[in-house]
Amino acid sequence: MGALSSKARLTGTTVRRRLRGDARAWIGLGTLAVMILIALLAPWIAPYDPNAQLDIAHLHSQAPSLAHPFGTDTFSRDVLSRMMHGARVSLAISIGAVTMAMIFGTLVGVIAGYAGGIVDAVLMRIVDAAFSIPSLLLLIVVIALWGEIGTVFLTFLIAGIAWFTVSRLVRAETLALRDADFVVAARALGVPSWRVLARHVLPNVIAPAIVAGTLAIGNVILLEAGLSYLGIGVRPPAASWGSIIQEGAERVSDLWWLTVFPGIALLITVFACNALGDALRDALDPRQLHSAYDE
Amino acid sequence: MRRYLVSRLLQAVGVVFFVTTLTFVVVHLAPGDPVGAALQGQNVTEAIREKWRADYGLDRPVSEQYVKWIQLAARGELGYSLSHRRQVRDVLADAMPRTLLLCSFALVISFAIGITVGVLQAERPRGPRDRWLGRILLLLYSVPEFWLGLLILLLFSYRLRWFPAGGMTDPVTYDYLSPREQFVDRFRHLVLPVLTLGLLSSAGIARYQRGALLAVLPMDWMRTALAKGLSWKTAVRRHALRNALLPTITLFGLSLPVFATGAIFVESVFSFPGMGLITVNAIAARDYPLVTSGVLVMSVIVVVGALLADIAVAVADPRVRLG
Amino acid sequence: MPKPVSRSHRRTLVSVAVVAAAFATVSCKGTDSGKVAPDGPPGVGGTMVIATAADATSLLPSIVNVITDRQVTDLLFDRLADLGDEMNAVGDKGFKPQLAERWEWAADSLSIAFHINPKAKWHDGVPVRASDVRYSLNLLKDPGLGSSAAPLVGNIDSVNVRDSLTAVAYFKRHTPEQFYDLVYQVAIVPEHILGNTPAAKLRDSEVTRRGIGSGRFRLSKWEPGARIELIADTANYRGRAKLDRVVFAISPDFNGAVTRFFAGDADMFENLRPEHLAKLLGDTARRAVPYPSLGYMFMAFNNLDPKDISRPHPIFGERAVRRALSMAVDRKAMLKNVFDTLGIPLYGPFPRSLNVSDTTLPQLPYDTVKAKALLDSAGWLVGPDGIRAKAGRRLAFSIATPSSSAARKQYAVLLQDAMHRVGADVKLDESDFASFVAKFASRSYDVAMDNYNTDPSVSGFKQSWSTSGIGKDGSNHAGYSNPVVDAMLDSAILTFDPARTKAYARRAFETIIEDAPAIWLYEPPTRAGIARRIRTTHMRADGWWSGLADWWIPANERSQRDQIGLRPAP
Repeated sequence: MGALSSKARLTGTTVRRRLRGDARAWIGLGTLAVMILIALLAPWIAPYDPNAQLDIAHLHSQAPSLAHPFGTDTFSRDVLSRMMHGARVSLAISIGAVTMAMIFGTLVGVIAGYAGGIVDAVLMRIVDAAFSIPSLLLLIVVIALWGEIGTVFLTFLIAGIAWFTVSRLVRAETLALRDADFVVAARALGVPSWRVLARHVLPNVIAPAIVAGTLAIGNVILLEAGLSYLGIGVRPPAASWGSIIQEGAERVSDLWWLTVFPGIALLITVFACNALGDALRDALDPRQLHSAYDE
Repeated sequence: MRRYLVSRLLQAVGVVFFVTTLTFVVVHLAPGDPVGAALQGQNVTEAIREKWRADYGLDRPVSEQYVKWIQLAARGELGYSLSHRRQVRDVLADAMPRTLLLCSFALVISFAIGITVGVLQAERPRGPRDRWLGRILLLLYSVPEFWLGLLILLLFSYRLRWFPAGGMTDPVTYDYLSPREQFVDRFRHLVLPVLTLGLLSSAGIARYQRGALLAVLPMDWMRTALAKGLSWKTAVRRHALRNALLPTITLFGLSLPVFATGAIFVESVFSFPGMGLITVNAIAARDYPLVTSGVLVMSVIVVVGALLADIAVAVADPRVRLG
Repeated sequence: MPKPVSRSHRRTLVSVAVVAAAFATVSCKGTDSGKVAPDGPPGVGGTMVIATAADATSLLPSIVNVITDRQVTDLLFDRLADLGDEMNAVGDKGFKPQLAERWEWAADSLSIAFHINPKAKWHDGVPVRASDVRYSLNLLKDPGLGSSAAPLVGNIDSVNVRDSLTAVAYFKRHTPEQFYDLVYQVAIVPEHILGNTPAAKLRDSEVTRRGIGSGRFRLSKWEPGARIELIADTANYRGRAKLDRVVFAISPDFNGAVTRFFAGDADMFENLRPEHLAKLLGDTARRAVPYPSLGYMFMAFNNLDPKDISRPHPIFGERAVRRALSMAVDRKAMLKNVFDTLGIPLYGPFPRSLNVSDTTLPQLPYDTVKAKALLDSAGWLVGPDGIRAKAGRRLAFSIATPSSSAARKQYAVLLQDAMHRVGADVKLDESDFASFVAKFASRSYDVAMDNYNTDPSVSGFKQSWSTSGIGKDGSNHAGYSNPVVDAMLDSAILTFDPARTKAYARRAFETIIEDAPAIWLYEPPTRAGIARRIRTTHMRADGWWSGLADWWIPANERSQRDQIGLRPAP
């Protein structure tokens, strides 16, 4: 934590220079961009309607072929098209949930860190408590018993168990910034609190929050897939990568393509998020400046 | 320190109470009930269902049922599971050791792999070995656990038939095996789930270990050790690792919840009848006392894990006590 | 994935249902129906492992819940007499003696005296007595037990103990199936084991878990979630079972059970899916054996308004809509999709194995053009979003499906798409079995993927499809009501002439099919995977396991697994 003040000194140019030299950043960003593009353009580039049953009597459970590169499922739907549309659902939920979690988490963290005292104590107790809740299990219980829930609500629920990681991080940053020279100076000059927060604190805590967010996207994609795999996430006929795997799981021994391809899509995307997140974190990590043994 | 401990403990109890209550209420608000699930014969008349409901006290208001359950739980009884037709306590007493077995094996494996890989990486930071291992770890870190489980199941169980597809022991022959064969049988059933869970968790630990090592490498005593003529490798393995192991060990406490929840997916893929699978199945059976008790036990594990980790950190770093 | 038990829809009315032996001839290549095969006479010995995905919930025959309960209790507990292979339920024709070595009808047919086989003993060595018969009936009828079979024995007044080996059953009315009612529905349970526990406590009592009966198999061990092991009762009065033991190996899920079977760790799996059959082609160790069942599957339209069941459903109360949606569905293609070549089409609310069934009845055609025209003429017009609407109400509804059934889930998605093509906005409402059942109980569903396991009698139909079945004690989930059908079914039940029963039932079915209260989808194609080394006997439609005690394994085909238990357990 002692190094935090030096982070403030880390200039944007340094960060950019480091990122530019980091293959992980390029690979991560590139892959994510491609995935997002596919998701956005799915209705136009997908070869088939993702929910269209092409020919239930003759075209179901087809192994990969030229006409259906990723095969068809038991309902004679084109798996590739379903995966393209599934990308929309998976990415929308994850990015949506993480964005919400970041906004809320940053807000709580900044307020707690800057206000200090009783506000800080109360907010942090809540965050501590949230950390020790078996959130996945609770999420499973709530969703499974709720029955049919919409994508939007699912996004909110996931955001609900992701925000407090950001809060803790941001609070720590804010705590350090509160005593930084330029913040102290601004306060001494009589700049109102909200302005200090907006002008001096927020811009400086946003970077670590973004790192946390990028890494969280990967985890949230996995979480959504896991819920769908348990059969309680995205409901049919809508497809997310997780629900396609779930539909294929029972037939994994003969219809392997239903499990393997969406799994690879998940893996690639989560890998991209994590690679990018790692690169961002390393780029923002001031300790690297001191590391004597780094090349 | 004592004040900190007391407040943390109170908080832990509060969290457990909150989670359990929430679960109890949500389970009861959900459509369907244990009787509907238990009497799956479709031609059972509604009158008989009502009779059963009354027999199990399910016709009482939720608040009353809750108070009753709390009273039972206080005596350590946890109620009666209609889907297993056994006391919840007995059902959990069977499931708990299984999950603990699975998790502790996986824990050992993941720490063994994690620490080893972390050291191998930190010996030559930024070198090709570090980079490659780093990429592999990142990949491993990004694999959906249920998906990896499915593939492992497909390959080693369905295709190669090296290991059984699920369960704890061979249901047919187990009782008739010699103790040595019984041990082997148990082991064969554990391999795939332990491997899946252990492999995935090792990625995070390796990463952490590497970080911890890199943090101590610039320390003065490393220079001293090198000056004494120790080789770089020996210095890292003997001196640096000893110092960098402590933070990794504190991970143990924090890993507990990770493993407990990770076990949910692994248990469902491998049909491993531990806490996770039993709780998830109990949800479908609307087994109110079993779901609530399952969540209760899991939250105690998670809360205790977090508590231990916090205390460990507090002991190690006096500053935290103030925050 | 426990399967619902085919606990009969039954009645107290007189019925004349002669059950056809449509499946009596069921067999396939390799099914040696009890005949002496080239490999010598049936020998004694061997272990048969049955892979299943459902653990038992109770071993008390009066309160069976899941199919495994039914199978295990049928093997452990004898009845007074057993149904014959032809499953005749009228009079006592074809019934085979079990605990009763013989019986005599009173002149007025209102009582029957059963003479207990003096050699019959419970598995703990205590002899079976007439008082056990009395106890068994009283227990079944005890409201404290809450048995779902209690309404089925309403016609049996009481059992009197004439002497220790003679039990006399008294009936309220003389009905064609009074004998069947008693001997089939009342499994005889030991009073000396269970009698000390009040009926209300018995359901969850430990004593029922001991499974002490008088059948040719006795319970060796029940390890919850792992296995139920039965061993031959070597001193049984009906002769010891040919197999040394039968083990139900319980997997937590369907795939686990299938894998166990194909890995050779089990000799039988009762519920093969079409995709497994390809694996069995050329398999020298295993074969697929079709067996009859009494189930039928349909998509039920809720005819009543979920908000107020005194009113017709705002969409499906209209006959034209039901008919149009039925015509929008290509049932043949769906059958092919789900079951490949195994599909058994359903022609109406009856499985083929019943003699009142008639597969020649006229069907609603698959004709989407006609379906659309019918909806148009009924005032359901296509809106700008492609979905039909009438008087501001969209043709939008959801299909309730239990998530435990793979075939029904598959069908639901197929149906969703088919009905969407004629302008219906269909959602899937998949839920676990508990919620699914709750939807029926509260009638809060639009359409549901429903499944009936019917009783081999016409009165079962009355409970499912007549107006009187709409109440609490019936199973008319669709809330379908047509006075013509009511009258026809009543006549079919009341007549004593089998030919007229069939004619009345035919009229009723014809009307039901025209009214389309449901879309008739399939009969579950039940196929068991069985190891070739197992020699089976006839499999009855009400349970393939009925003759299990006579299945056997030739000595030269036994494996190491067959030796287990001969070595004492440590």
